[in-house]
Amino acid sequence: MIISRRATLAGAAFAAAAGLPGIARAQAKQVVVGTWGGDYGELLRQNIDAPLMAPQGIEVLQDVANADPRKTKMLAERQARRGTFDVSCLSDTDMHMMAQQNTLETLDMGRLSRAGSIVPGLRKPYAVPHIYSALVLLYNPDKVPVPPTSFADMWDPKYRGRVGFSDILYSTNTFAAAMAGGGGFGDYKPAEAKLMELRSLDAKVYPSNEALAAALKGEEVWITPMWLARGYMWQKAGIPLRHVVPSEGAYAIVFEAAIPRNSRNKDNGYAYLDAMLKPEAQTAFADRMGYLPTVTDASLPPEIARQISLSEAEQARLRSPDYDYLLRAHTDILDFWNKQFKG
Amino acid sequence: MAALVLPASLLVLLLLVAPMLLLFRISLNEFSPTQMMVEATSAANYLRAVQDPYYRQVLLTTLAVATGSTLLALGLGFPTAYWLARMQGRWKSLATITVLFPLLVGNVVRAAGWLALLGNGGAINATLLGLGLIAAPLPLLYNTGAVVAGIVAVVLPYMVLTLSAVIEGIPRQTEEAAANLGARPMTVFRRVVLPQALPGVAAGSVLVFVLCMNTYASAVLLGGPQFKMMAPAVYDQFVRGNNWPFGAALAFILLGITLVLTVAGSAALGRRYRC
Amino acid sequence: MGSLVLDALGKRYGSSVAVERVDLDVRQGEMVALLGPSGCGKTTTLRMVAGFVEPTAGRVLIGGGDVTRAPPHARDTGMVFQSYALFPHMSVGANVAFGLEMRRIGRAEREQRVREVLRLVRLEGLEDRLPRQLSGGQQQRVALARALVVNPAVFLLDEPLSNLDAKLRGEVRMEIRALQQRLGLTTLIVTHDQEEALTMADRLVVMERGRVRQVGSAEDLYERPADPFVAGFVGRCNLLDGRLETPGRFRTASGALLPCGAPEGAGGDAVLALRPEHVRVAPAADGPGRLVAVTYLGPQTEYHLDLAGTRLLAVQPTPGAADPMRRLSPGDAVSISWDAAAARLLPAAQPDKEPDA
Repeated sequence: MIISRRATLAGAAFAAAAGLPGIARAQAKQVVVGTWGGDYGELLRQNIDAPLMAPQGIEVLQDVANADPRKTKMLAERQARRGTFDVSCLSDTDMHMMAQQNTLETLDMGRLSRAGSIVPGLRKPYAVPHIYSALVLLYNPDKVPVPPTSFADMWDPKYRGRVGFSDILYSTNTFAAAMAGGGGFGDYKPAEAKLMELRSLDAKVYPSNEALAAALKGEEVWITPMWLARGYMWQKAGIPLRHVVPSEGAYAIVFEAAIPRNSRNKDNGYAYLDAMLKPEAQTAFADRMGYLPTVTDASLPPEIARQISLSEAEQARLRSPDYDYLLRAHTDILDFWNKQFKG
Repeated sequence: MAALVLPASLLVLLLLVAPMLLLFRISLNEFSPTQMMVEATSAANYLRAVQDPYYRQVLLTTLAVATGSTLLALGLGFPTAYWLARMQGRWKSLATITVLFPLLVGNVVRAAGWLALLGNGGAINATLLGLGLIAAPLPLLYNTGAVVAGIVAVVLPYMVLTLSAVIEGIPRQTEEAAANLGARPMTVFRRVVLPQALPGVAAGSVLVFVLCMNTYASAVLLGGPQFKMMAPAVYDQFVRGNNWPFGAALAFILLGITLVLTVAGSAALGRRYRC
Repeated sequence: MGSLVLDALGKRYGSSVAVERVDLDVRQGEMVALLGPSGCGKTTTLRMVAGFVEPTAGRVLIGGGDVTRAPPHARDTGMVFQSYALFPHMSVGANVAFGLEMRRIGRAEREQRVREVLRLVRLEGLEDRLPRQLSGGQQQRVALARALVVNPAVFLLDEPLSNLDAKLRGEVRMEIRALQQRLGLTTLIVTHDQEEALTMADRLVVMERGRVRQVGSAEDLYERPADPFVAGFVGRCNLLDGRLETPGRFRTASGALLPCGAPEGAGGDAVLALRPEHVRVAPAADGPGRLVAVTYLGPQTEYHLDLAGTRLLAVQPTPGAADPMRRLSPGDAVSISWDAAAARLLPAAQPDKEPDA
């Protein structure tokens, strides 16, 4: 990791000039949590901040922003002795990048009473998993009476013009095409030919997940690769959908939390991570957002469990993404998606 | 006086110029997927942007949409501005507020309004389908027309207000004098009102053209994923690609072309009509 | 029938009346002034002739043709605006040529006529200037030239001199009158300046609150005003409220008994109109009047007088240095007299009239 000091300062000044959100310096019995707002931030407040942290006398301050500005802030503060966040919440891919950029503390699992309950496949040295969801193929059972089993089924000419993509999930969509074309977690190259093939089959691209949901609801499109949690929320909203973990294999998206190296309240940070691993801190996210708990001892209400849980066979098809490959190939993936597939 | 003005001017300079200088510096750096940004002094990002046919096409689309939207806003805005400028009394403040009203709503919210109007399940398609006039929804959204409609709705108040301020300064009596000398209404407009309104036409068009060139929300929400203009492309590089150097270079190309065109446009207009 | 006829012309805005009724025949080559205080309807009347205001009653005829509903561009009028309304983006030449262009007159003739008219208003050689490069007087003459060059059937002047300074105003007044007479232009001029109207127009129309009070020559209006308003508005006048007591004897409201001219069928409440120059003053220790103030104005001197509680103004040629009149000072007793015939009896004034003296 070699970035010149000057470029970093430029980044910090840029972040400041761009008006990225800041927050008052944290006090001794405080913990500053960098997180998304909306449902996620609210559920954290309701299920962790108030019931689990307040009794310990620790005040939780949320610094709310989307992932990108918070990543930028962490990179810009890398050289600073004292950073903004005590806890940073990011997706597994972003967290891996932050770890690569040497911004994260290597966790002392001995300080986390709940460390032993973490699902083994989700353990990382630099972060704890909070909730997760799997990449699945969503389909409309009324229009697709024979359930698809693989990503490759999207290329069935029967579904010409009925495959939809969310533009913001370009990386995931490219993964699906790569797997259908015989590629792998560390080889997205086959996706290029497959995507162009799908383009000639009139695949639709929608600007946002919400626009895709509207198209699924209006039955303009019938099949899409998507996070299971989204599929669950859309079903709750009355869109007719079923899901399958494709036979080629897929990966999970894990929402993780970590402690930046320059946190000023590391003790409180550890306390917060420990609280995030409590079963009651995770099950609320299942009901409201459709995400699965990351600890083995959390039990979901049977009705919800039936809708979002994965069978052993499905779990076996899940693997972690190849983060290093993604970091290197990301520019090419985005360029191909924008210029060739959509162009 | 200088003691009062200087600190404020320096602050403004700092706030306006410093980020630009930083952005320019970033545009000369190199991108690395693993390290984000490596310090360099290279024009490679600019060359890449100019040589890549994809970005040339994005630029052309941006120019075409901005020019078309500006002309449309001018065509729609002039009669409205004239009517507003010649209005009297309390109706005038009411009309001015009506023109200003859309500015109270953000671009994104307005784009959402267009989505509700133009979407496949939107008001227009629902009505036409309900009346049995069409069998399948018309593709009104996610095309250039939708983007232009969205942009014009956003920029029209700026055009109308700029024009009406200038038209208000045109003595009504010059129009009466022309009519008195035998000019029909269209001739009065062409020979007397329009030439006197040219400073407003120039100012309004420049303002609106700059806004159009930097369109983001309308392009993304109404143009759909396949429709690309410069501002979303810049955003893409910064936020999705993490490629700040290339994003910065694109931003400066957009800035430079906008600047050159507006200066050249105003100069041409000024020379032609001596205003 | 005149060259310009206003036939029972009227304009109302909702319930408010701008012009009650104007009847007027302007003969070919005649110059008629519409005179009155602001808000009297004179400008509205002019604008109805030009076509900028649509009448709500009556007709406008130009050269015998009814143009009441014709748009401005279809009427053969040439108007000079109070603000001149020159086209600021056009040269002097282009301004003047504009009306000719609209009449589709060929380039050669156009240039010829522009040159001629600019010579007429003494602006030759300034064709290429822009209006803002000219003085106020020059701009005014461009406006004249622009209206004249098309040989309009009716020439309309809206307060054409009000933006000029006092010295220039006198000169331009004469110039316009000379041009109008030379070209035989049928002209309607609007002014609130009685001196302007008296010196320029063949006939004057005195208007007040949307009504025509009197139409006549300057002499008619001055010497034979129809009512106290005209008497007060045209020239200065002592206007005394009271009643005719016996033929030749007028009792003022304050009780003084004054001699007056033979009544023309008048009786009861009336107004006595007496021009200040007809009032004679002389020093007299036992005189009935008293001097209130003296104002020396060079060739003339004003005497402000009190006659048994009635205020009077007298204007006399300034007497020679040796004349005893020169030694009069405020408070002195004086004798006041006038020819009974000079004191005209007018119908009683409306309550909101302001006496001039």
